[in-house]
Amino acid sequence: MAEKPRLKLPKEAKKGDIIEIKTLIPHIMESGQRKDKDGKTIPRKIINKFTAEFNGKPVFSATIEPAVAANPYLQFTAKVEESGTFKFSWTDDDGTVTTAEEQITVA
Amino acid sequence: MRKLTRRAALAVGASGVALTVVGWGSDARAAAKEAADEVAKFTGGKTAEQGKISIELPEIAENGNTVPLTVSVNAPMTADNYVSDVLVVSEGNPNPGMITFHFTPLSGKAEAQTRIRLAATQNIVVVAKTSGGQFYIGQKQVKVTIGGCGG
Amino acid sequence: MTRSGIVAGGLAVAAVIVASALLFTNGVSAQSAKRAPQLETKDDASARPWKRYAGWPARDEAKFNTLGNLASPPPPTAPRKLSAPIDGDAKKGAELVADRNRGGSCLACHTMGPAGGAALPGNVGPDLSELGNAGREDEWLFNYVYDARVYNPDTVMPPWGGHGIFNDQEIGDIVVFLKTLKSPAPYKTELDNPDKRPAPVEKRDNLDPIENPGMWAVDKAQELWKQKSSIGFSCNTCHSEPKETFKTWAASMPKWEPRLNKVLGVEEFVTRHTKATTGDVWLMETDENRAMAVYLRYLANGTPIAIDTSSADSKAAIERGKALSQRKVGELNFACTDCHGKSANHWIRGQWLGEPKGQFDHFPTWRTSLLAIWDIRQRFQWCQVNIRDDELPPDAKEYGDLEIYLASQNDGLKLNVPGIRH
Repeated sequence: MAEKPRLKLPKEAKKGDIIEIKTLIPHIMESGQRKDKDGKTIPRKIINKFTAEFNGKPVFSATIEPAVAANPYLQFTAKVEESGTFKFSWTDDDGTVTTAEEQITVA
Repeated sequence: MRKLTRRAALAVGASGVALTVVGWGSDARAAAKEAADEVAKFTGGKTAEQGKISIELPEIAENGNTVPLTVSVNAPMTADNYVSDVLVVSEGNPNPGMITFHFTPLSGKAEAQTRIRLAATQNIVVVAKTSGGQFYIGQKQVKVTIGGCGG
Repeated sequence: MTRSGIVAGGLAVAAVIVASALLFTNGVSAQSAKRAPQLETKDDASARPWKRYAGWPARDEAKFNTLGNLASPPPPTAPRKLSAPIDGDAKKGAELVADRNRGGSCLACHTMGPAGGAALPGNVGPDLSELGNAGREDEWLFNYVYDARVYNPDTVMPPWGGHGIFNDQEIGDIVVFLKTLKSPAPYKTELDNPDKRPAPVEKRDNLDPIENPGMWAVDKAQELWKQKSSIGFSCNTCHSEPKETFKTWAASMPKWEPRLNKVLGVEEFVTRHTKATTGDVWLMETDENRAMAVYLRYLANGTPIAIDTSSADSKAAIERGKALSQRKVGELNFACTDCHGKSANHWIRGQWLGEPKGQFDHFPTWRTSLLAIWDIRQRFQWCQVNIRDDELPPDAKEYGDLEIYLASQNDGLKLNVPGIRH
């Protein structure tokens, strides 16, 4: 599966609009509750944190547990007053942080 | 991490067959207690008021592996009075914690959607905290379907 | 050999010669021999020996009919006589009728009062919640559960005793339990009642990569398309404009293939054509094969399914597929048509039984319960394993016949791939 996160948000908006943002990152979200065929617990490996910033200011974040489905999906809103850049980050249990950015023009 | 206890783990992933869930009943009551503890930890023991929270879940989830959940809180989202955190808790999974959403005034709305794992038919509890330290609580039952041909 | 002439190199040329030779022996005209795509025709298109997928139940059902052979014991000719009234345990019976390890057991098809907590029972068979008021004899009840064909040859009910799923003692326990049933089921919610439960409606946008993780296949296939094989060829060598070239092609599949004397679906075609041209080996049910099959059908999305139903060979294959769809197979003794014909649009426990129409246009499909893409052959295989039967390898000719019959029932529906289902 491709490792790149998937993003969906408008390219343009009007000042003061509340826009909808959809994000998904391909990830197995190994719960730490499954056993392999020898009865050994498969270690937990999940995305445990997601953050969204706009022009450096926090917009939305989530603390994630193994109860979130594989390929974690998050949809939320943002109120935009100016043009700028959204920056998203996903933190893996192993410390890896994946980031993605998207521009929006606000008129 | 809470240790994995009585309830069967969610069987998720590459293996072929769907969910295995064994042992219900007294375990369900224990799970409800764990969920209540989780809520108390979040509120610091303060009373949460019923209402203002809407929870969207399918009436019957086609399986427990990826169930769409939308939570919204009908409360102001201004710079000095906004919903800051929303806790989602399971009363029927191996662990009660599911996800916590953190909002800011820039969020515009206290509304988020994700996809969750459910070990079985159960209640989902949602608690919202405002910047002013108020708490609201809501809950909804979701059924997870039972397959036709058995194991 | 104009088109194949593009492909240089000894191996490919040799394959062309072999293919042509076979065409002539099968009496196909030289004209169509020129146009027929190259296919590798000697090897199997899926792994041999075929090994059941990891995580699927490991059961040996060799005693029962499969789509490939007949083995099941014959139905009884007369009811069994009971020497004494049944002495059974109603409590055990109540557990057995909801036992998830007995092929879904009775609750899959019947509501039975409080059994199984009255949680999401099915309605393929009648509600038996008040059967205890009907005054049925022990012997009649016993024989009905043991092998209902003795009273009703057309029943879809599994021969629970005849096929050894329950023993005599267990059937006795079930009979004693059935006689205790005297009032309607205590449903906890309206949704538990199969007659009131709303049929599922699929509303997700399956072509939105954020909605359907199965869209990975479309990305992967586009990489594979240009990936050069060890002899230096790729799909792109001959098909540099796939979006144009394959705008409708997949809607004409599956198709009778005279060189192999069987029906080929997109998946087997990919294996055989790739092997004959680029030399890559993309066996059925590998990620490469799934990705290409999804992509080729994706390119034809929106095209109404229109397979050849008029040639003599296609007609014969469709007739064979129809006959196979009516064959009782496996320990549970179900034919495809038992669930997806006679009992379609009913609930089997908490799952909705669909009609054949609408079960093909979205394959290969992403399965949210398994986090995997399944093609139609794997779906056939799972249905069989699930009803306690042995599956065939995915390139079995029987599945080809079944696929072309299913496709004929989906004629006119627009392709919509990859689908997304539970």
